[in-house]
Amino acid sequence: MRAGAADLTAYDLHADQISAWRNRSRRMRYGTYFMVAALIAWSVEAIVIGDTDWDRISWASMFKSARQFMDVDFSILGSLLTPAIETALMATLGTLLGLVLAVPVAWLGAANISPLGKSSYAFGRALMTMSRSVHELVWALIFVAAVGLGALAGVLAMGIRSIGFISKTVAEAIEDVNPGPVEAMRAVGANRFQVLLFGILPQVIPVFIGNVIFEWDVNIRRSTIMGLVGAGGLGLALHRQMSAYNYGGVATVLLVILLLIIAGEIASYLARRAVI
Amino acid sequence: MSAILEVRDLRVRYSAGKEVLKGINFTVRSDDFLAIIGPSGSGKSTLIRCVNRLVEPNAGEILFEGRDLLRLGESEMRAARRNIGMIFQEFNLIERLSVIDNVLTGRLGYTGTWRSLFRAYTRDDIRNAIRLLDRVGLIEHLDKRADQLSGGQRQRVGIARALIQDPKMLLVDEPTSSLDPKIAREVMGLIREIAREFGVPVLCNIHDVNLALEYCTRVIGLQDGIKRFDGAPAEIDKRVLADIYAMETL
Repeated sequence: MRAGAADLTAYDLHADQISAWRNRSRRMRYGTYFMVAALIAWSVEAIVIGDTDWDRISWASMFKSARQFMDVDFSILGSLLTPAIETALMATLGTLLGLVLAVPVAWLGAANISPLGKSSYAFGRALMTMSRSVHELVWALIFVAAVGLGALAGVLAMGIRSIGFISKTVAEAIEDVNPGPVEAMRAVGANRFQVLLFGILPQVIPVFIGNVIFEWDVNIRRSTIMGLVGAGGLGLALHRQMSAYNYGGVATVLLVILLLIIAGEIASYLARRAVI
Repeated sequence: MSAILEVRDLRVRYSAGKEVLKGINFTVRSDDFLAIIGPSGSGKSTLIRCVNRLVEPNAGEILFEGRDLLRLGESEMRAARRNIGMIFQEFNLIERLSVIDNVLTGRLGYTGTWRSLFRAYTRDDIRNAIRLLDRVGLIEHLDKRADQLSGGQRQRVGIARALIQDPKMLLVDEPTSSLDPKIAREVMGLIREIAREFGVPVLCNIHDVNLALEYCTRVIGLQDGIKRFDGAPAEIDKRVLADIYAMETL
């Protein structure tokens, strides 16, 4: 069947409408591009161009700085062994603390099992947000003030900072469990704890372990800078070399940090492969 | 034969306001293999879940061995659930546990919280689990993880888990819907054999009318939350089915 003349006019009209609409939206799009470009230009002007001491910067000065870092100072390598081990241990203990504390927080913050309904759910979610929204260095400053200088402050800082990510992902896994086993456990006459233990826990264990390993990997990175605020580890050595303007030493510490992070990456890869 | 379960004027309304069960009455006698048939959405699954209160009814009575389950408190209801085994459409096993550990979860109602944390079941329970796995033909799969089994094998684990409760009645929710026709018949046959062997009545949801007629001793027909039929399989003819499935409206 061929469409009648009346239909063709209707199609033309419709086509005109669509192209008019497209022209309009194209103009809108170019307008948006222009505004974003203007915003970027203004930011660069205000923050970089206006706020930098250009007289200090020259090709010579940049080359000189880079040159200073090239003289890696291997003489301090021996003294970095203990801080490096301390850094790795701090990350590990911090992660363990985080995982222990994340369990009750995930329990509170999972909508389907939160013990007191909406109020405990809101409380759990608030704890997660609090843990995540404060930077690890700020947590470290708080704990340095509370328990003094040293690795303990770093462990506590990373433990608290780790709660958020672990408990959030686990709580979401709990909300997504297959309800079948939960129903089966209720049907056999299991109590609430047994339902959690058999109906829910086995389903979320892989997510839990996977994210703990990931968080440990991240904590190794965090751990390397904890010393900047006095919370132990390689960061402290970095801080000392910087204060002494020993750029070669700074480079050495950075190299050790790099090695440690690579080692952590390999270890977490192996652990993940072994567990999952 | 005496009635083990008597359901009176059972009503369920979901929060959206739709009434799913509109006053259901029936009894299960202690030698019944009772099938509930009916179209999807007729309330079969809700009805069977009301019996052990996985779904909370709004009104009515559920007399199990003469006691109204709807009046029980939380811990009394848990104790009552131990006497009611349940077999599920999707098997509802704990995938990451071994076959025998899945069967043993059927004993959780008899096991203290502390002991269950360490899966420290009694020696009798473990021996019983082995015996039941042998009975359902899975003795050589005892140590395998549940997710390594086929559908029919998983349903057998589900049957053993219900039996280890030492139940006085079995609730069976669409036991064959996730299985192919041959395995479905094997599973229905096994449930019937076991019901006789252990002397437990069965209340079974099933959408496959032919399976219901073949394996069950009594049939209830449900349509849109109302009981339309209650009688022997022999009494079911085309007219009854047309009535239950409301085929005249099609």
